Amino acid sequence: MALILLPLIFSLIAWWIPSNFTRIFGLISTISTLTLSAVTVCYFKSNEPILIDLGLRFVRFSIDSLGFTMMLLTNAVFFLVFLSNFKRELVHDIRFTALALLMQFGLLGIFTTNTILGFYLFWELTLLPIFLILYWFGNFEKPRAILQFFLYTLLGSLAMLLAVIGLMHATNQQTYEGLLSADLNALGNTSTLLMGGFLLAFAVKIPLFPFHTWQAETYTKAPVAGTMLLSAIMLKMALFGLLKWVLPIFNGIATDFWRWPVIVLGLIGIIYGAIIAIRQNNLKTLFAYASLSHLGLIAAALMLQNGETNQIAVVQIVNHSIVSIGLFLAAGIIEHRIGTAELTGLGGIAKVAPRFAFWFGVLTFVSLSVPFTAGFIGEFFLIKDLFAAHNLTGILASATLILGAVYMLKAYQAPMFGPTKVTSFEDLHWSEITVFAILSIAAIYLGLSPQCLTDFVAHSLSQPTL
Amino acid sequence: MDSIVILFISGLLGLFVGMRRQPLSALVISSLGLTGAALAAYFRGQYTSPLAAYTAYIPTQSAVVILLCIVTLLAIWGGYQRYRQENEHTGDYLSLVLFSLCGAIMMAQPNDLMLFFIGLEILSIPIYVLVGIEKGSALSAEAAVKYFFTGSFASAILLFGIALLYGATGSFQLVEIQSNLAIGIWQSPMAMIGSLFLLAGFAFKIGAVPFHFWGPDVYQGASNAVLMYMSTVVKITGIYAIVNVFGQIFRDSYFYWIDLISLLIVLSMFYGYITAWKQTSFKRLIAYSSIANAGLMLFALADIHNSNIFLFVAAYAFATIPLVTINEFADQNSDDLSNWEGIAWKNPLVGAALVLALFSLAGIPPLAGFFGKFSLLWSAVPHIPYTAVLALIASVIGAFVYLRLLMLALKKPEVQVKKALSAEQTIVLLLTTISSITALYLI
Repeated sequence: MALILLPLIFSLIAWWIPSNFTRIFGLISTISTLTLSAVTVCYFKSNEPILIDLGLRFVRFSIDSLGFTMMLLTNAVFFLVFLSNFKRELVHDIRFTALALLMQFGLLGIFTTNTILGFYLFWELTLLPIFLILYWFGNFEKPRAILQFFLYTLLGSLAMLLAVIGLMHATNQQTYEGLLSADLNALGNTSTLLMGGFLLAFAVKIPLFPFHTWQAETYTKAPVAGTMLLSAIMLKMALFGLLKWVLPIFNGIATDFWRWPVIVLGLIGIIYGAIIAIRQNNLKTLFAYASLSHLGLIAAALMLQNGETNQIAVVQIVNHSIVSIGLFLAAGIIEHRIGTAELTGLGGIAKVAPRFAFWFGVLTFVSLSVPFTAGFIGEFFLIKDLFAAHNLTGILASATLILGAVYMLKAYQAPMFGPTKVTSFEDLHWSEITVFAILSIAAIYLGLSPQCLTDFVAHSLSQPTL
Repeated sequence: MDSIVILFISGLLGLFVGMRRQPLSALVISSLGLTGAALAAYFRGQYTSPLAAYTAYIPTQSAVVILLCIVTLLAIWGGYQRYRQENEHTGDYLSLVLFSLCGAIMMAQPNDLMLFFIGLEILSIPIYVLVGIEKGSALSAEAAVKYFFTGSFASAILLFGIALLYGATGSFQLVEIQSNLAIGIWQSPMAMIGSLFLLAGFAFKIGAVPFHFWGPDVYQGASNAVLMYMSTVVKITGIYAIVNVFGQIFRDSYFYWIDLISLLIVLSMFYGYITAWKQTSFKRLIAYSSIANAGLMLFALADIHNSNIFLFVAAYAFATIPLVTINEFADQNSDDLSNWEGIAWKNPLVGAALVLALFSLAGIPPLAGFFGKFSLLWSAVPHIPYTAVLALIASVIGAFVYLRLLMLALKKPEVQVKKALSAEQTIVLLLTTISSITALYLI
């Protein structure tokens, strides 16, 4: 119970913490949730999900190994976000700390809930804190941009609400197991329509190709911590929903109908995102489009509904979180110390800040999926499986490797080397080095032995009929 | 019945105390009266209506009465500050509210159309007076006259509808009307037109498009205290009356009407939310928001045998009352939205209440507004799925209206000025805030 409720309790306490202690408090609370979940995972047997009942009729929790992986990831991400911002103004603000912890609670809820309505509730709950974070700490000139983000996500989630209601009416079930056992193929086209509702919500969140227009501006204008939260963990809600809920439940007519449309959109996203990323001048916008490209690959691969692929997709999800925290942190550091993240204004940082150059370089290589990093395992196997589906999809998906190298090397080379435009640059603070080190170690460890993760999640991924 | 007697007596007492210029005693007496009425309803309420599908704890009938009493209690506390300062009309205000509530209780769950109509008039006439109680204000006078004329017109239409139905079926009793209609009188044009007039009169009372035109002007002219009462209690009563009357009359034939009702829903929601978007006056914004919410409430008619309206109207009232209270806190004499800029920074409780109330109105979980909307859609989706889709699209527009207000209120000011809430306002904001969070446990 404390596993889930701890962030909520901390976020309520946070409002009464004096502002001198806010950043320490944020760090301590995220460390304690991370420690608690890490300790629990040692005693966790993957065939015995942990059940939690808070006395609510429509919301119950059951933590299986996939849920646990996402839970650990969430807690780690929040810890890293607080740690990496330790020297910034942002974490001194009570509002940010409290809202971030509330968001952590919402995310943990999504990853652990066992009922479809609970899934929806927590899905929407995360919207409230991120909206306020973007509004208070973002750098939006006009409220229109932030409202655009809200419009997209709300429209998507209301489609999902209709689908949830329809699903509960059609099957008379509300738990995960109940929905799995229900025969949705009997519904025929209705099940296709219901799945469409879910997919719309997910497509906005992931985001898939035509629904991505909120992403670039939101990422660029949001505070770095907000961007990290959005890309490292909030987008994973949608992939998790696809992986755990929608694909197993709608397995049959509905998934057959939607498989190729989603794969095609994913592929368009891969190539389109990469090409746009190459042309970007702002580091944060560049990384936003890179994210579009990477997540398109995962979404396309998930639609293959193959057990092995799903396990690798989890590795890639974790890897993307690592990469996006690292890259957005680097972009944030540059923006914070120089005042701009425009590539044309940058150059020669490596000379004045060798430590930053080293760690940013490591993260760039992780993002490039060089062998012995998690990205290599993830992308290589996902592309292999897309080849197995159809040669053309495989070829198009491989474009991510080549185009990815182009924009990532550009993003690294332009600010760090080249003509010297930056003469003074404060090198990394210990808290930032710690974050980079943790991320690099995690990426390399996962790259060397991905089976520790794939074996762990195998049990909860093998249950659905594959 | 007990509740009505208690309310009437405490209203009379309040009137006398008010004449002696003792506002606090009048408030205490009215509050005691309301509490007593709620308790009486709770202990007497062993009657279960055929529509008692929703509440497991309290039978439906007493649930409405208790809800109405609590909402009124919050409304008079939220608006009390003004009447403490200018205590000339405190007693009048409080006792008129209580008298009007007597009518609301009579009208909310009728089994007889005559009784229903009397209840409606008892509810309406004090409100005509209340709207005009600001003697010095031209807007208030205009609103009172406008409300009086349009309201009387609507009552006449309603009465005409009742008369036609009586002509067709020979009874005022809902049960008899229903059984007479069931044997085929339904085909008679008299019954058809009568029901149509009834529906129009109802739509007018709850302010659904195309019978909404009185709303914004009247709301703008009323004082915050009256607005709080008017925008909540009247709507709750109206929608309960519709559900009860039509739940009986249309029991076997509602598929004739469902398209018409869908049209009312869609028009009200889109019109209300789209028009609310550009308002510069808070009271007009609340008026348009209430028009849209009236549309949503009509979803209760989608599944007439099993209508889950309780949670929605409660959530709506518990979100509207804190907002109007905050408007009172912002500036007593003006309802311009510019007063709202940065208001959340003046007081932490105001900030919290405001965020939760607006998110609740926008229907974001885990707040009460979401569960209300969910329970309405839950029964509507199998019957009118396309209307539900349109309603959700309108809700997105609605979310924008509320978020725009929220962003205005949360804008960080250059200089922070603290301002204290009065004790009654604190209680109102605390209660509504807590209840909009804990609604989670009701569903």
